[in-house]
Amino acid sequence: MSYLQSNPNRPISQSHYQGGPGDLPMPPAKEQTLMWQQNSYMGDSGIHSGAATQVPSLSGKEEDMDLFDLDQGYSQGFTQDQVDEMNNQLNQTRSQRVRAAMFPETLDEGIEIPSTQFDPSHQTAVQRLSEPSQMLKHAVVNLINYQDDADLATRAIPELIKLLNDEDQVVVSQAAMMVHQLSKKEASRHAIMNSPQMVAALVRAISNSNDLETTKGAVGTLHKLSHHRQGLLAIFKSGGIPALVKLLSSPVESVLFYAITTLHNLLLHQDGSKMAVRLAGGLQKMVALLQRNNVKFLAIVTDCLQILAYGNQESKLIILASQGPIELVRIMRSYDYEKLLWTTSRVLKVLSVCPSNKPAIVEAGGMQALAMHLGNPSGRLVQNCLWTLRNLSDAATKVDGLEGLLSSLVQVLNSQDVHVVTCASGILSNLTCNNQRNKVTVCQVGGVDALVRTIVSAGDREEITEPAVCALRHLTSRHVESEMAQNAVRLNYGIQVIVKLLNPPSRWPLVKAVIGLIRNLALCPANHAPLREHGAIHHLVQLLMRAFQDTQRRSSVASGGSQQASSYADGVRMEEIVEGTVGALHILARESHNRAIIRQQMVIPIFVQLLFNDIENIQRVAAGVLCELAADKEGAEMIEQEGATSPLTELLHSRNEGVATYAAAVLFRMSEDKPQDYKKRLSMELTNSLFREENLWNPDLGIDPDLQDILSPDQAYDTMYAQGPPSVHSNHGGRPYQQQGYDQIPIDMQGLEIGSHAGGNGSTYSQIEAMDVANGDPDINFDPINQLPAPPQDNNQVAAWYDTDL
Amino acid sequence: MCAKMAFQHQAGTAMECLSIPITLHKERDGDTMRCGFKIGGGIDQDYHKSPQGYTDNGIYVTEVHESSPASKSGLRVHDKILQCNGYDFTMVTHKKAVSYIKKHPVLNLLVARKGVTST
Repeated sequence: MSYLQSNPNRPISQSHYQGGPGDLPMPPAKEQTLMWQQNSYMGDSGIHSGAATQVPSLSGKEEDMDLFDLDQGYSQGFTQDQVDEMNNQLNQTRSQRVRAAMFPETLDEGIEIPSTQFDPSHQTAVQRLSEPSQMLKHAVVNLINYQDDADLATRAIPELIKLLNDEDQVVVSQAAMMVHQLSKKEASRHAIMNSPQMVAALVRAISNSNDLETTKGAVGTLHKLSHHRQGLLAIFKSGGIPALVKLLSSPVESVLFYAITTLHNLLLHQDGSKMAVRLAGGLQKMVALLQRNNVKFLAIVTDCLQILAYGNQESKLIILASQGPIELVRIMRSYDYEKLLWTTSRVLKVLSVCPSNKPAIVEAGGMQALAMHLGNPSGRLVQNCLWTLRNLSDAATKVDGLEGLLSSLVQVLNSQDVHVVTCASGILSNLTCNNQRNKVTVCQVGGVDALVRTIVSAGDREEITEPAVCALRHLTSRHVESEMAQNAVRLNYGIQVIVKLLNPPSRWPLVKAVIGLIRNLALCPANHAPLREHGAIHHLVQLLMRAFQDTQRRSSVASGGSQQASSYADGVRMEEIVEGTVGALHILARESHNRAIIRQQMVIPIFVQLLFNDIENIQRVAAGVLCELAADKEGAEMIEQEGATSPLTELLHSRNEGVATYAAAVLFRMSEDKPQDYKKRLSMELTNSLFREENLWNPDLGIDPDLQDILSPDQAYDTMYAQGPPSVHSNHGGRPYQQQGYDQIPIDMQGLEIGSHAGGNGSTYSQIEAMDVANGDPDINFDPINQLPAPPQDNNQVAAWYDTDL
Repeated sequence: MCAKMAFQHQAGTAMECLSIPITLHKERDGDTMRCGFKIGGGIDQDYHKSPQGYTDNGIYVTEVHESSPASKSGLRVHDKILQCNGYDFTMVTHKKAVSYIKKHPVLNLLVARKGVTST
């Protein structure tokens, strides 16, 4: 209390000071300090060493100076008695000084207490005690009040419950307001939530009353309670959720706000709330609220929707039926509040794995709206948008206007974030599958260069290389820029890296994709030499032999069993590898150097054996590669020596026109140096079995340009999405890297979400591929889907296959 | 008939078949007790998708690690686990099977083995 001490004109203060030096010569203050300390003045004296070094104020200084002079004149200005008297006086007022510091409000106004302060710039110990002691006092007062609040509330609660249940609406309203007031204080809040009757009365007030003030007071109280676990439980047990859901239709902003935040807290922290909200029809109301325009409010609503929809198919369908996708996409398009965009993208992510919502989101322009945020500085937003886009991308292969998205995706391939690159590659892979316009766009924005760079820098991170290779495979075939893409891969030094990916540690899905890419690259004559020089032919032959042996072993084992077991490795059937490698060798064999190498690899016997294969596509690629190899005399002889004539003749009658045509071509080439009558007989045979002569010598005939797509190369992704709960560690099931990917998702349950469209026909890729087969080439009767295992009984329930290491 | 049933068993129906009893003592590996084998399958999985080509919803040993407790106990890859410490394994979810296996330090298993308990 500075005002008490800061006046240096106080007589006592002066006399005291005067006494100092008189009594004890230089240096007075210090000596005094010592003396006083000895006299047990102790802490409250206020005299500290600094006191003598500075003069407090102008007036003080003047006086001091005068007095000092005086002192010098009257060296015995104070007697010992006088000093004792002054000390005595200070001693007597000590308690007053303490009181002034600690309880200033208890002092009578205007009384003067002698101060021990010499120096106004240095507080005395008592003065310094003032602030902490005030704080302590307040704490004690609060404590006493808290007890009072608690007591009051406990006493008042039974009364208030009675009033809340009163007939008179005015009484109820008053009571509700009072309870709301009480709930603002912590102690009484606890008393309220400890009374189930009280919470029940509040819920009843909400349900029954039409009075705004009543509703506001009651829901305001529940909102306060919802910050405590106990409060949440009390609300839940009292049936508060249906009442709160009902309030979501309220036209009053504050009521809405209280209701949604209370529900949000319940959904976050109270078990059983989700089901209760769903049963009360909360989803429909929340979707309706998406039309409001308060961003913070919307962020809470969308977060609620996410919590409710997550892992619950029925909720997703309700959101769909309530036009949720349209509203959510509109939010993504219209706002820039990061938190809202983030929560909304999370709802979309959850919905994007639902086969029914997916097309709805895409149709509402979800792809374009999500693409708008790929450049956002918020990492979590970008990541969620990418996840959603990846989930949607298979349903969006026929969508127009994705140029912006494709160009953003090519840009984010440069990101340092592995997950971003993984997602971007995956989306590009899907969007370029069988979509010519997208293929052209990606090529035009430098997608090939970026993908090659991505593959080079990804090393053996297959979660990146596999989709990137798939995307390149799509970009290198069947569109106007495909030749440019085939060249671009070479010009970016991609061939070496890509061929290398045929080796371990690459897993089968990647290997399969690489095989398809190499086949496409071989379509460009300029790529033949580099492919050969980097050992592509050798690697392909090795893979073929390995896969072929595997299928042979399988079929001999399976012939004993009742059921034909297909040989899977990481979700890839070895038959697919056989078909892919033979197909790639077929294209490579168009070049004579390559043919020479293939001849040396002792692989022709395998090609001939493959003519007996049950799978028509394999017969076709085998006949195709033999057709090319038969172009050289040596090749034709080797083929004949392997006894190919009889199976080839048989294949002339194949219902698959491609197979028949190639068989005919091989036979014809083999007959080059045969006698004339043999040629004639053959020619007649050919004419009889093949009606469509015009197709005969078209070297590309029957090779569906999208051969590599036919056995749904991307089907690999099937396993990926069907992988099941990521918590279960799977080693063989094929795709550890994908699990890693999902493990990184902030909310671990999300993995389940993605897994939730497990097992089914869900695979994006296989759907597309199937369509491609249907639309693409009518010549191809072979339907790859028939070759796949039957789908599980219940698409949404049965997980795929995985195992657990114990 | 029995033989066929063991490997093409419809979960929940009665079945009679020969079985091999196996006792597996887990080994301590850090904080966990390790068995050294992998299981796949369960009524929640789609055996059509199993790369091994299993033919029912049973729990199968998909891998036995070398010189692990499992390999010492005589467990072999592709064994079908019928019972574990008295718990029926012909109609369990994958997760449940994992939890039963994790439950005790010693496993008393009954398994069916192609070519041994059946032809």
